[in-house]
Amino acid sequence: MTAALTLDGVGKRYGDFQAVRDLSFEVGKGQICGFLGPNGAGKTSTLRMILGLQPATTGRIEILGADNGRKVRDRIGFLPEERGLYKKMTPVDAIAFFGSLKGVPTAEGRRRAKELLDAQGLGASKAKKMKELSKGMAQKVQLIASIVHKPEFVILDEPFSGLDPVNQQGLEAMIRGLAADGATVLFSTHVMQHAERLCDKVVLLARGRKAFEGTVTEARATSRRFLELEGDIAADAVSRLPGVTGVEIVSEGDGARVLRAAMAAGAGGQEALKAAFLTGLDVRRFELREPTLHDAFIGLTGDHPDQDQSVSKPVEAAR
Amino acid sequence: MKRTLLIARREFMAYVRTVGFWLSLLSLPLFGLLGGVIPLLVKSSEPMREVVLVEEGPQATGLAKAVQDVMAADAERRAQRAADAAEKAQTSAGGAVDSKAARDAVASLTKERVRIVPAPPALASATPGPARDAVVRRLLGEDTPKDQRLDAIVFLTRQDGKPGARVWTAKASDATVEDFVKDSLRSANRRQVFQDAGIDPAIVVATDRFKADVKAFSPRSASGGAVSMRDRLPGIVGFGAAFLLWSLVITGASILLNSVMEEKANKILEVLLSSASATEILAGKVLGVAMLTLTVLIVWSGLGAFGLLSAKPEIAADVAAVLLHNGLIFYFLAYMVGGYLMYAVLFAAIGAFCETPRDAQALMGPIMMVLVVPLLVLQMALQTPDAPVVRILSWIPFFTPFLMSARVPSDPPMIEIVGTLAGMAITALAMVWLAGRAFRAGALSDVKLSWKTFGSAIRGGGN
Repeated sequence: MTAALTLDGVGKRYGDFQAVRDLSFEVGKGQICGFLGPNGAGKTSTLRMILGLQPATTGRIEILGADNGRKVRDRIGFLPEERGLYKKMTPVDAIAFFGSLKGVPTAEGRRRAKELLDAQGLGASKAKKMKELSKGMAQKVQLIASIVHKPEFVILDEPFSGLDPVNQQGLEAMIRGLAADGATVLFSTHVMQHAERLCDKVVLLARGRKAFEGTVTEARATSRRFLELEGDIAADAVSRLPGVTGVEIVSEGDGARVLRAAMAAGAGGQEALKAAFLTGLDVRRFELREPTLHDAFIGLTGDHPDQDQSVSKPVEAAR
Repeated sequence: MKRTLLIARREFMAYVRTVGFWLSLLSLPLFGLLGGVIPLLVKSSEPMREVVLVEEGPQATGLAKAVQDVMAADAERRAQRAADAAEKAQTSAGGAVDSKAARDAVASLTKERVRIVPAPPALASATPGPARDAVVRRLLGEDTPKDQRLDAIVFLTRQDGKPGARVWTAKASDATVEDFVKDSLRSANRRQVFQDAGIDPAIVVATDRFKADVKAFSPRSASGGAVSMRDRLPGIVGFGAAFLLWSLVITGASILLNSVMEEKANKILEVLLSSASATEILAGKVLGVAMLTLTVLIVWSGLGAFGLLSAKPEIAADVAAVLLHNGLIFYFLAYMVGGYLMYAVLFAAIGAFCETPRDAQALMGPIMMVLVVPLLVLQMALQTPDAPVVRILSWIPFFTPFLMSARVPSDPPMIEIVGTLAGMAITALAMVWLAGRAFRAGALSDVKLSWKTFGSAIRGGGN
């Protein structure tokens, strides 16, 4: 697959603070790639470098065949982390304005804006001012503004933050639609569930370093399956079950406890279940759980994705 | 370039579509009109006060007549002034104005405010003391029917040969009659003193009416001799241009500051930066607000020119001649561009670091203090354009646009014009460069604005 984006040994330093270290990964054309990591992991800095808003301190970035995002900015769509549009403009005017900056004639921009707003169920709000729209509606309008010029590459920085579940689903559908139309999508998030549902590929970032690059399945495979058992069971009895490599008590009370048992690579749950009955363990619930991306992240980085790794950075110029 | 123009157009349209813009646009002409008309309306609608004069005792005999004589002389002077004004209006309008209508119009604005009426029988027959006081209170009180009610009753007295009065008025806050009586008695006393000294009253009146015929001459006047309004006009035009420029710079720069702050607060700057370079954004915003202030300037100038052409066409012609003399209007334009650029880019750069006006305070206070200096010196520049302090301050680029706009009509040495223009142009370009670096740095930064962070942004802004 041809790469739409390549990062090779990219680093970013703000004064004494190293925000991104030796970061290399690729995103193929037409892929949806999740750029995952906790707040402050270096995601936004990386996205700004990809866009050419900030220079990389070290390394090389190539996007859509150009060595600087600024050279192909008309072919890129960008939704920043903290969103805002001109409050007194109507959605149609705002979308057409941002489209015009990307080379779409104003009349065509207005036509596309109306079409996209209708498609997103915002037809009734076309003539309202932005300040009259709900947060979810405004977020959709901003996403439309970032794709009205039909970009080949779409960069979304934390697109799901602040949205309710219904609007999150709507946004997921929009992202899938973009990819179906041939666009490459790179979005950052610290919520792993979105990436699990959407991504062809994920890149995990922790403390400015890449922890993993691959598919969601590959990421999960780095983490072991585990058993969840509930009953009046001793932890050491569970640790003696076949395939179990470690046990932790999740909760305890009223003569019953919930235990989580890590399984050895390749071990199945049947032998453990059979052994539990044969040894007369008081098992009231037995469940074999596949690892999630969240588990994989913790396993790969040792960090929790909801942990804040932000550090205040010195002044840095946009370009 | 296209993005710069698109951003400029959005900036322009965003403000033109607001009610605030139209209010600002119309405020100056409206306030000018109201400032001129309202005092006239107030004066013309002022009610006539009906006043009774009562002479207290034989010593006061003749004081009422003296007051009435002063009133008659005043009325005669007002009539003469009205006739003169009407004649001038007719001459200015080329005979298109009806002289009687004009005279009546002027007379209505300068009409007398006091009318002497005979004392009602109840007052005339009352014995001085509490009984007469009761009559006075009744005649001034609100219980008396309007057609019988008086506005004031004046008891004229004379003590030790000096005239005096006790003035009773219906309204305690109305000092009109009191002032009128004071002026009248002062004039009456003056006449009496001169008369007692054996001076003919006609001579006193003639002396009062004397106006010295003083004419000013200067070898630098337009005619080479007598100084006219035309010679004083350049100074006034320069002062006006400087003040207008100051107002437009302050207005334009403030609009830019607020606009950039709003985009920073609403996180629009980051979206813009993904679509255009920081330089294009800064240039677009500066250009958009320049178009806005230029629109205001054109409308105000147009209305001013129309008003002047209608009322005083000869002065309008003189103003045009002053503006075109030695390319003065081009100097004004150069100072306007330089002044606007210096301050606009600075304010925009500050705005890029701020989300609220409070964030901007650290830097705005000192900058506003700098901007006040030329305003304080402008008055001096109007009267003495070549005063050493004005000349020295003119060389400071941040003051140059305002002070040189005021000075340039008085034909300062060419070296000063060229030198200050060059200094201003170099500083303006340096400001554009430095502010551009700061703007780029501020646009994506979340650090708190201070002189230190602003300085480090300028030093590192070119990354």
